Amino acid sequence: MKSLVRVFLSIFIISFGLMGVAAWLNSSQGYSGGNTLTVYNWGDYIDPELLERFQKETGITVIYQTFDSNEAMLTKIEQGGTSFDVAVPSEYALAKMKQEHLLLPLDHSKLPNLKHVDSHYLNLSFDPNNQYSVPYFWGTVGIVFNPELTKGIDFHSWDGLWDPKLRNNLLLVDGAREIMGMSLNSLHYSLNDTNEAHLQQALTKLEKLAPNVKAVVGDEIKMLLANEEAAAGVVWSGDASEIMDENDKLDYIVPDEGSNLWFDNIVIPKTATHVDAAHKFINFMMQPDVAAQNAEFVGYSTPNKDAKKLLPKDISGDERFYPPSDITDKLEVYDNLGKRMLAHYNELFLQFKMHLK
Amino acid sequence: MVNKNRFGNIYLVIVFLVLYAPILYLMYYSFNSGGTMHEFEGFTLQYYKEVFADTRLIIIVINTLVIALLSSALATIIGIMGALAIHQMQNRRVKNTLLSLNNVLIVNPDVIIGASFLILFTMVGIKLGFYSVLLSHIAFSVPIAVIMILPRLQEMSPSLVDAARDLGASRLDVLTKVILPFIKPGIYAGFFMALTYSLDDFAVTFFVTGSGYSTLSVEIYSRARQGVSLSINALSTLIFLFTVLLVVGYYFIMRKANRNGKKEPAAEMGVPR
Repeated sequence: MKSLVRVFLSIFIISFGLMGVAAWLNSSQGYSGGNTLTVYNWGDYIDPELLERFQKETGITVIYQTFDSNEAMLTKIEQGGTSFDVAVPSEYALAKMKQEHLLLPLDHSKLPNLKHVDSHYLNLSFDPNNQYSVPYFWGTVGIVFNPELTKGIDFHSWDGLWDPKLRNNLLLVDGAREIMGMSLNSLHYSLNDTNEAHLQQALTKLEKLAPNVKAVVGDEIKMLLANEEAAAGVVWSGDASEIMDENDKLDYIVPDEGSNLWFDNIVIPKTATHVDAAHKFINFMMQPDVAAQNAEFVGYSTPNKDAKKLLPKDISGDERFYPPSDITDKLEVYDNLGKRMLAHYNELFLQFKMHLK
Repeated sequence: MVNKNRFGNIYLVIVFLVLYAPILYLMYYSFNSGGTMHEFEGFTLQYYKEVFADTRLIIIVINTLVIALLSSALATIIGIMGALAIHQMQNRRVKNTLLSLNNVLIVNPDVIIGASFLILFTMVGIKLGFYSVLLSHIAFSVPIAVIMILPRLQEMSPSLVDAARDLGASRLDVLTKVILPFIKPGIYAGFFMALTYSLDDFAVTFFVTGSGYSTLSVEIYSRARQGVSLSINALSTLIFLFTVLLVVGYYFIMRKANRNGKKEPAAEMGVPR
């Protein structure tokens, strides 16, 4: 009995000691003061030096928290319980948050740096007049391929994927909008098309792709492509840059027919308690030198035109990630097609997947 | 006989290789200056420096340890009471029902526990953070503690308690001088099981963290979106070595205690018989 009591007492003492150390570390970082800002962002999606710089310049301490999917972030914000001052959803999640009234409108007078953002990326269909959001990073959907293994195939058109030489050598991301959209694009339709005949045409075309498809996979597509388990894959440009970091033999291309343009956006959730600091943070992130440093660290494409000028030539001149205007003009943002149409897309995609062996 | 033994040994070696190879692989590359887990370029301690320089990461490690220690200690205390209550139960039916309910909680998927806690906490209005994580960890550790302690109680001969009572021990004396010392190995086993459960729990913690409060499993998971940096390898190496130290230390303490004449049956490594 005595030894039991002793053991448990020492456990409690150790725990409280550790808590004290944590509290001391927290306060030495200034986390416990009232002047704080809670940022909810994707994992590894910001240069940590910038957070320190923001802290030095404004005296506001940043509490930084991360999530790994839009859905996880949505659940946390919907449930309340914690107050996030800034969050970074992708555009479809943003549309959903808007619908459910989870966002505070931005005060544009507090965001003078908005002028640095390329007008191409403002006032888009998912957030007219940027009432609730400013773009953080953007990217495309395209093809990662291994030039050695795909000699003679021209990926400047989506039709390159249908080349019989690619038999059982193609990986696809598991996204109904992405794959249906790619098929629609290859037929020169909009990837927001809701015309039933066009959709059926897209499905028929997809079914012809089946012999080439090795697998439809999730996040592990990055690892599989980097390890050369397949000659080509349809992925997001962000993933593509990671894959090419791992394996520099691979290349990425956005086909000429057009493709999807996706955005991650900074917003202020309704639960925010430090709205003023949140505006300061958003404005800070749009400062050209800050956005440039961040883009260099994260490796995604920045929507900030003045930041792009500050980037080294080999980044900003990379047409794979900053495509020339004849391609960007053809890029489309996903519209919110409504629940029923979305279900229909999913159903068609499922039909295609069942077609695979 | 000899042949059989050799085969057994080979089998054992293979099993240990399978178990430890990934850990060793991970440790090996934590010293890689190349920055990836593909090719080993040269030796560096850079990632260890990064770990110690990253205050946020250290706070997260401390959080994880505090949650694990506190929640498993409290859960064990609650578990002792629970096990005693279930053991004392006269009605067989009720006893079995309680035991089954306890077991259901153990096999219940973590995700469901986590989601239910999230709903509960937000309904009741508990702010997500330290207390929500602590409470949910205690909750999923209690059934584990109960199930580790109960077998020891059942092993105990009832005549032991009767004898103590006959010799004039009060109820409290029986509890503190007879029952608790006897079930001590079970208590430690429960505590350590709860500790490991709490340390590596991701699913439940994921749902109930908030306001800048995070534990290691959640942090590593969200970092993995961009590929795991080698500083995570370095941190994992440190934690692995730390646990090895703990186990070795525990082993020596137990051996010393045994040699001092206090015989503690099956107490080594805290495994219940």
